[in-house]
Amino acid sequence: MPPDPAITVAGRPFRRPRWKLLLAQNVGLALAVVMLILSLVIYCVIYVAAQHRLPGNFELTSTVNTTMPLAFASIAQTIVVLTRGIDLSVGGVVDLSNAVAAVKLGDSLGSEILWSLVVLVIGATCGLVNGLLVTLGRLQPILVTLATLSIYQGIAIRVLPQPGGQIPQNYTDAFASITGPWSLLYVIIVGVLWWAFRRSSLGVGVFAIGNDETAASANGVAVRRARILAYVLGGVFSAISGLFLAASATAGDATTGNTYTLTSIVAAVLGGVSLFGGRGNGVGAILGAFISTMIVNILFFAHINPLYQSFYEGLFLVLAVVLVGSVGRLMRKAM
Amino acid sequence: MTSTPLQTSHPADLTPPPSGASTPQSSSGIRRFLASAERRRVLYAFAAAIALFAIGEIVRPGFGSFAGIRAVLVVASFVGLVAAGQFFVILIGGIDLSVPWVLNAAAILVVTSSLGRNAWAVPAGLLTLAMGTMIGALNGVGVGVAVLGVPAVVMTLAMNGILEGLTGGLTCSSCAAYAPPVIQAAVHHPFFGIPAVLFFWAIVIAVVSVVLSLTTFGRATYAIGSNPRASFLAGLPVRAITIGLYALSGFFSALAGITLVGFGGQAALGMGDPYLFQSIAAVVIGGVYILGGRGHYIGVVAGSISLVALVSVLMAVDMPEYGRNIIYGVVILVLLLLYGREAPEA
Repeated sequence: MPPDPAITVAGRPFRRPRWKLLLAQNVGLALAVVMLILSLVIYCVIYVAAQHRLPGNFELTSTVNTTMPLAFASIAQTIVVLTRGIDLSVGGVVDLSNAVAAVKLGDSLGSEILWSLVVLVIGATCGLVNGLLVTLGRLQPILVTLATLSIYQGIAIRVLPQPGGQIPQNYTDAFASITGPWSLLYVIIVGVLWWAFRRSSLGVGVFAIGNDETAASANGVAVRRARILAYVLGGVFSAISGLFLAASATAGDATTGNTYTLTSIVAAVLGGVSLFGGRGNGVGAILGAFISTMIVNILFFAHINPLYQSFYEGLFLVLAVVLVGSVGRLMRKAM
Repeated sequence: MTSTPLQTSHPADLTPPPSGASTPQSSSGIRRFLASAERRRVLYAFAAAIALFAIGEIVRPGFGSFAGIRAVLVVASFVGLVAAGQFFVILIGGIDLSVPWVLNAAAILVVTSSLGRNAWAVPAGLLTLAMGTMIGALNGVGVGVAVLGVPAVVMTLAMNGILEGLTGGLTCSSCAAYAPPVIQAAVHHPFFGIPAVLFFWAIVIAVVSVVLSLTTFGRATYAIGSNPRASFLAGLPVRAITIGLYALSGFFSALAGITLVGFGGQAALGMGDPYLFQSIAAVVIGGVYILGGRGHYIGVVAGSISLVALVSVLMAVDMPEYGRNIIYGVVILVLLLLYGREAPEA
């Protein structure tokens, strides 16, 4: 029900409590937090039952380090999905950036910074190609990125035909340190960046396009520019995902990134991002990535046959989406 | 049915499928035929296939020979069968990402349930088709029932995972590994030098085209694809048809699984993976509108042949894997830019 300004309570215009509004606007995020806490609790219980001690620094660190690439890939996916698009080329860009990093990163700090920047530029270029084809080429995002996925994967294999290459030790220490979950720092940075993005004119434009493109255009949003930039940002975050993947694997492989196309969609959906566009939160996508990892951890310690792993993941995905959808509907009805 | 205003805007019901009408007598006939952008796209898709055969013949003489074309068509028939299912759901603006493991599960189920024996081939085949249809219907329930309201991408992606887990977990590695000889013969046996699977594909092409062009079910499918809300208000059973179309997609994936295992003789884990993107690409190259409501199966057939011909040409010139990937993507983009663009904004 839209708020009706004519309704008054005790002589003052009726206003819902601020927390209720905030909660209603962020149902997906709130549910992601609940799911993450639940999965953490279940994980701890199962872990204690199996190992007779609480999970420690090692478990936390390895969980964070394996999740970071997926977290960035799901942010990349989220930005594009917000514009009512979809980016199937995420896996290809992750492959490409992973391959370039493995081949080019040198031992000196200068080389590491230089080539990391080059990888980001490559990611931005990949995103730019997607964005231009979608806007100026007037093609559907799912088709454009299906085709560019194949192209980016091909280039990645050309750069690194065999798994290998070398990632310098200090690079791994910086992005996937095994001494502690320091990478969570990057999650905080991304959270702050998302907060800024949401309030920038670009962020407002991206959300507006996803909700109603015609209305956005009528209200002065530069639709094409915002959409192209959304794809560029998506490419950059996919490239960051590839760098983190290279850092935690300490070597390169031009095919390990392939899975991120689909898992990034799963993480975004678990994090409360609507595939119909205009609704979602980058922090939610990160939480979704952690939920995905926790599910895998739970299945592992519950001694589920690994062959059945994708069965439970698929089942959980459907249940989560149905749950998020019905809770959202109930909340809207209740208000 | 006749009361839906949507039908008048849909040119497909004015003439039979374009395959029979590709040689009109007069120039005005040609012009009238080409007036529909949709039919032009079908022609472009066939032109692309023919051009690829010509290129193949140039780079590798014998590519365009009878045997060469036959080999491409046989492989294209598998893509075409999967793409038939994909085409049905894309017609209503959906998508089926569960294709790989429905196909794979079907291939394994038909082999293990028949124990590789001829006598049990028919019940095993029927069981497998029923499994595929049921899985597809479940997809349709998730997508089509408003209370559940699961996006098609999520529902079918999750179903793919569910089947991958079940197939991997339940398959007994010691069970029969070979398809019953009678199924292998049903794919390979030549009539007049043409393998049986191509006759079978021809029948599928005819049935799908007739069902979509001449039945109420087909007309309703196009109507829902053009505007689901208007179709619902016009009294069409939108939910039932959605479930039916996803069930058909599952059916065709299972059918492709059976023919593939008949072709190769053996089932393997992961054999369905290439068919996801190929089936979507074939549908799109065939001129079907990805958001639904427009397209013909005969175009999808041309798309399947073009795709397989493209891959075969690249293999024929010993193109390394990376080159195949790049060219594959570029060709799809070029074809899309040539005839798959949205109308410009007013």
